Amino acid sequence: MNGRLEYWVKVPIGPIHPALEEPEKFIITLDGERIIHVDVKLGYNLRGLEWIAMRRNYIQILYLAERICGICSFSHNHTYSRAVEEMAGIQVPERAEYIRVIVGELERIHSHLLNLGVVGHTIGYDTVLHLSWLARERVMDILEAIGGNRVNYSVNMIGGVRRNIEEKHKRAILDMVKYYRNEVMPKIEEIFLYDPTVEARLRDAGVIPKRIAIEYSAQGPTARGSGVKKDVRYNEKLSVYPDLGVKPVTPKEFTGVVKGDVFDRMVVRVGELWQSMDTIERAIDQMPEGKIKAVPKDNALLFQLKKADGEGIGRYEAPRGELIHYVKGQKGKDVPAKWKMREPTFPNLFAIARALVGEQVADVPVAIASIDPCLSCTDRVAVIDANTGRKKILTEKDLLKLSIEKTRELNPEVKAKPEVIGVGCPRGGAL
Amino acid sequence: MNILYATLGFIGIYTYVSFASLLWEGIDRKLVARMQRRVGPPLLQPFYDFLKLVSKESIIPRDANRFFELAPVLALATSIALLAYTPLGFEPLFGTKGDVILFVYLLTLIGFLRVIGAVSSGSPYAQIGAQREMIILVSREGPMMLALFTILWRLNGLGVTKPFSMGTFYEHNVWELGTPMSVIGTVILLFVFLAWLASEIEVGYFDIPEAETELAEGTMAEYSGRHLALFDLASAIKAFVSASLVVAVFFPWGISGYLDLIGLPAMVVDLLFHTLKVFTVLFVSMTIFRTVTGRLRITQATNLFWTRLLPASMVGALLLVIDALGVIA
Amino acid sequence: MNVDEFVKAFGERFPEAEIRVSENKMPHPKRRVWVEIHREKFHDAMGFIKELDPRAQFSIIIGMDAGDKLLAKYHMELFWEEGESISLIIGTSVPKDDPKLPTVTDVFPSALPYERENQEFLGFVFEGIPDPRRLFLPDDFPEGIYPLRLDETGIKPEMVKNAGHPYKIGGAKK
Repeated sequence: MNGRLEYWVKVPIGPIHPALEEPEKFIITLDGERIIHVDVKLGYNLRGLEWIAMRRNYIQILYLAERICGICSFSHNHTYSRAVEEMAGIQVPERAEYIRVIVGELERIHSHLLNLGVVGHTIGYDTVLHLSWLARERVMDILEAIGGNRVNYSVNMIGGVRRNIEEKHKRAILDMVKYYRNEVMPKIEEIFLYDPTVEARLRDAGVIPKRIAIEYSAQGPTARGSGVKKDVRYNEKLSVYPDLGVKPVTPKEFTGVVKGDVFDRMVVRVGELWQSMDTIERAIDQMPEGKIKAVPKDNALLFQLKKADGEGIGRYEAPRGELIHYVKGQKGKDVPAKWKMREPTFPNLFAIARALVGEQVADVPVAIASIDPCLSCTDRVAVIDANTGRKKILTEKDLLKLSIEKTRELNPEVKAKPEVIGVGCPRGGAL
Repeated sequence: MNILYATLGFIGIYTYVSFASLLWEGIDRKLVARMQRRVGPPLLQPFYDFLKLVSKESIIPRDANRFFELAPVLALATSIALLAYTPLGFEPLFGTKGDVILFVYLLTLIGFLRVIGAVSSGSPYAQIGAQREMIILVSREGPMMLALFTILWRLNGLGVTKPFSMGTFYEHNVWELGTPMSVIGTVILLFVFLAWLASEIEVGYFDIPEAETELAEGTMAEYSGRHLALFDLASAIKAFVSASLVVAVFFPWGISGYLDLIGLPAMVVDLLFHTLKVFTVLFVSMTIFRTVTGRLRITQATNLFWTRLLPASMVGALLLVIDALGVIA
Repeated sequence: MNVDEFVKAFGERFPEAEIRVSENKMPHPKRRVWVEIHREKFHDAMGFIKELDPRAQFSIIIGMDAGDKLLAKYHMELFWEEGESISLIIGTSVPKDDPKLPTVTDVFPSALPYERENQEFLGFVFEGIPDPRRLFLPDDFPEGIYPLRLDETGIKPEMVKNAGHPYKIGGAKK
C-alpha cells in the first residue's frame, strides 16, 4: 500500500476552478483517472453572518437571511420567519401562506432550471446551459413583477408577506405555467430523459447508494434521487402544502429504476418542475381572500417580539433540500439570543465526497454540480480577519483605496470623488 | 516550378491559411452563439485574442522545464511544415510520392508536442490532460489511417503518377469508381473521417483533453501569453489542415477547369473554393457537432473508437477491397 | 411511531430527561419534541434514538454560548418514511471550563462536519472525534479564539477590520 502511494496524484479542485461556481476546495487523490480519496475544505466564502446577526434585530435579520444566498433567497427568509413565528407564537393568515407557497414554488422552478443548465455546462453541453437559462428568464420576470426584484424579492415578513398577489400577477403566472408546460418542458424532458450524450455521461456517475444517502443524511433531490422518500413539505405537514397534495418525487415514477446517480437526480429535478407547476396552479385556484400580515406595523411586531422568550425551529424544503433555521429569543431585547441555520448543501457535500471515491475524475464536476451546491449558503458562519503577522490580509477598505489609486494612475483627470452611498450599517461604527 | 517560386508560394499559403483558419474560428463561434440564441463575439474576435495574447506576458511555472517553452514553437513549426504537404485545392507544393505518410506523421506530431508541453509544465491538471490526449491520439489514428490507405490503394489501381501522395486525389477521386458497393463503402468511410476530424480538433464528444469544466483547459492549463498564442494558432491551422484532408479525399473537385483558368489564377480560385469546402466540412464536423453534444468520458471515447469507428472503418475498407477484387476476377 | 409513543418510550428509558412537546398553530398543527438530557447520558440517548429508528436523519448541531455554560442542541428527523415525521431536538449542556462532549459520529456518521464546526467556532471538545481538523476557519487563525463565544475568548474588537461601510468606518477605531 505504501509503495503505491508515490504514484498517487493529489489534485486540488478549487478554491478557484471553472467547474465550481463558488469557492470550495476538494482535494482529490487520484490513481490514474480513478479517485481514491476526497477531502473537503470549506470557508473560502466565510462572511460571518451568525456573528453579524448578534448585532441585528429580528427584522434586520430577515433581510440578512435573504442575502445568505442569491438563488434560495426566498427559502432562507421564509424559514427564518417560520422559526421566529414558532418562537413568538404568531399565527400567519392563510392567504399569506398561499402566497408563500406560490413564491416558493416559483423559486424552485428557477433554481432547478438553473441547475439543469449548470449540469449541461459541466459535461460540455453548453447549448443546454444557454437554452435552459433563457427559459429561466420568464420565471425571473414573474418574480420581479411580484417582489420588485429578480433575486432578493423580500416577499416575506415575520407573520405574513409583504407583497400581495393580485389579479394581474395571477394571469401572468398562469401564462408562464402554460409557456413552460407547452414549450420548455418537452425540450427539457427530451434532453434529460432521452438524449444519448446526457445519458452516457450522467448514468452511473457519482452514485450515492440509498444506504449512504441515509447514513450521511443527504437532503432534497440528492436524497430523493437515491430513492429516499423524504420531503419536508410532506413530512413536516408544512404550511398549506398538505392541502395541495405535495408528495416526494422519486425517479421511480419516471424511469422505473432508482440508481442514485446524477441522472436520477436530474430526473427528480425535472419531476419537481412538473410538480411545482401543478402546485402553483392549485394554490392560485384555492387562495382565499384576506389579510396578508398578522401584524401590519413593523414596530408593533418588534415590540411583540421583544416580549417573546422561547425557541423555535423553522424547516422548509428549499430547492436543494431541507433547510433548518433555529431562533432563540431573549426577553426585553429585540435581538435574538441565537440564530443558526443549516443548509442542504452542507450534508450533501459530504455525501457526494463519500460517493466520489472509486469514480473517475471526469465525474467530479458533474457530480458536484448535481447536488446543486450553494456554497455561500454553507460558508456562513463567522467573520474573521486575522493578522497573524505572516500574511497581510487586505480588507475591503484597502482594496477600495488601491482601486481608487489605480484609477487615478490610469487617468489623473478623474474629478469625481467616491461618495458614500446609502447609510451603511448603522451599528457598524459602534463595533 | 523552381524553388524560389515554391518558397514564395509557400509563404503566401502560410499567411493565407493562418488568416482563413482564424477567420473560421470566428465564424464558428458566431454560428454556435446564434444556435444557442446568444449574440456571440465579433467575427474577428480570434484575431483580437491572438494579438492580445502575443502582447501579454507569458508566465512560466517554476517547475517547468525547457520543453515547456520549446513545445509551442515546435508545434507551430510543425503546422507550417504540414502546410507544405497539405492539399489545398491543388497538388501540394512540395508533394512527392508517399507524402501522405509524412502528412499523417506531422499531424500526429502536433498533438504529441502538446503532450510534451503539458507534461513539462508540472501542473497536475496538465498531466491528466496529457494522459487523456495520449490515449485519444492512439485511439483515433487507427480507423482514420485504415480508411485513408484503403482509398489510396484503391485509387492506385486506377493508375497514378505518384503513388500514395496527396496528388492522387486530384487525378482520380473515390466516387469515380461508381459501383454501388464502392459508393456504400465510401459513405461509411466519410462518416469515419468526419468523426476523426471532430476528435482531431477536440470538440463535442472529444473535448476531453482540454475539458474546461473538468481540468481547467487540461493540456493548456499552464500556458499563457505568447506561448498560448502560438499553440492557438497551431491548433487553428491544424483544424484547417485536417479538414483539408477530408475535403481532398472526398470532395477534390476544383472549379478552375470550368472557368478556363490556368496557372496562378487557377490556383487562387481553387484555393478559395477549397476554403469554402473546408468551412462546410468544419461546419458539419465542428460547429453542429459541438452544439448538439456534450463531452464523453475518456473510457467512453476510447470505446467509441475501438468498438464503433474501427469496425466501421474495416467494413468500409472491406467493401472497397471486395469491389476491387470483384472487378479483377 | 407517533409523537406520544416516542415520548413514552424515551421517557421510560431515560426517566431523568426533561421532555417537552410544543405545538404550533399552523394551518396544519405540527408538534415538536424537545428533550434536555445530562451529558453523561447523552451518548446513550443518541444510541437509543438510533435503535428506535435506524434510519433517523441527523440535521444540525446548534451550539450556543449561555453565560457559564455551552449549550448544544441536536435536531433529528425520525420516522420520515411513515408520512408525518417526528421532529426531535435533543439538547445538553457543558460547563465552559470543561467543554467535553462525547462524539456521536459512531452513531450518526453525518454528525462529523457539525462537530468540527462547533469545535472551531465555540470551543467544544468532542471526545473521540475521528477528524478534529478545522473545517471553515483558515489554518492560520489564532488558537484559543472561538468566534461565536460571547466572552473574552470571542472575537476581540481589534480583530474586526471590515465591518460597516468602508467610508463610514474610516474615522472609527480600527
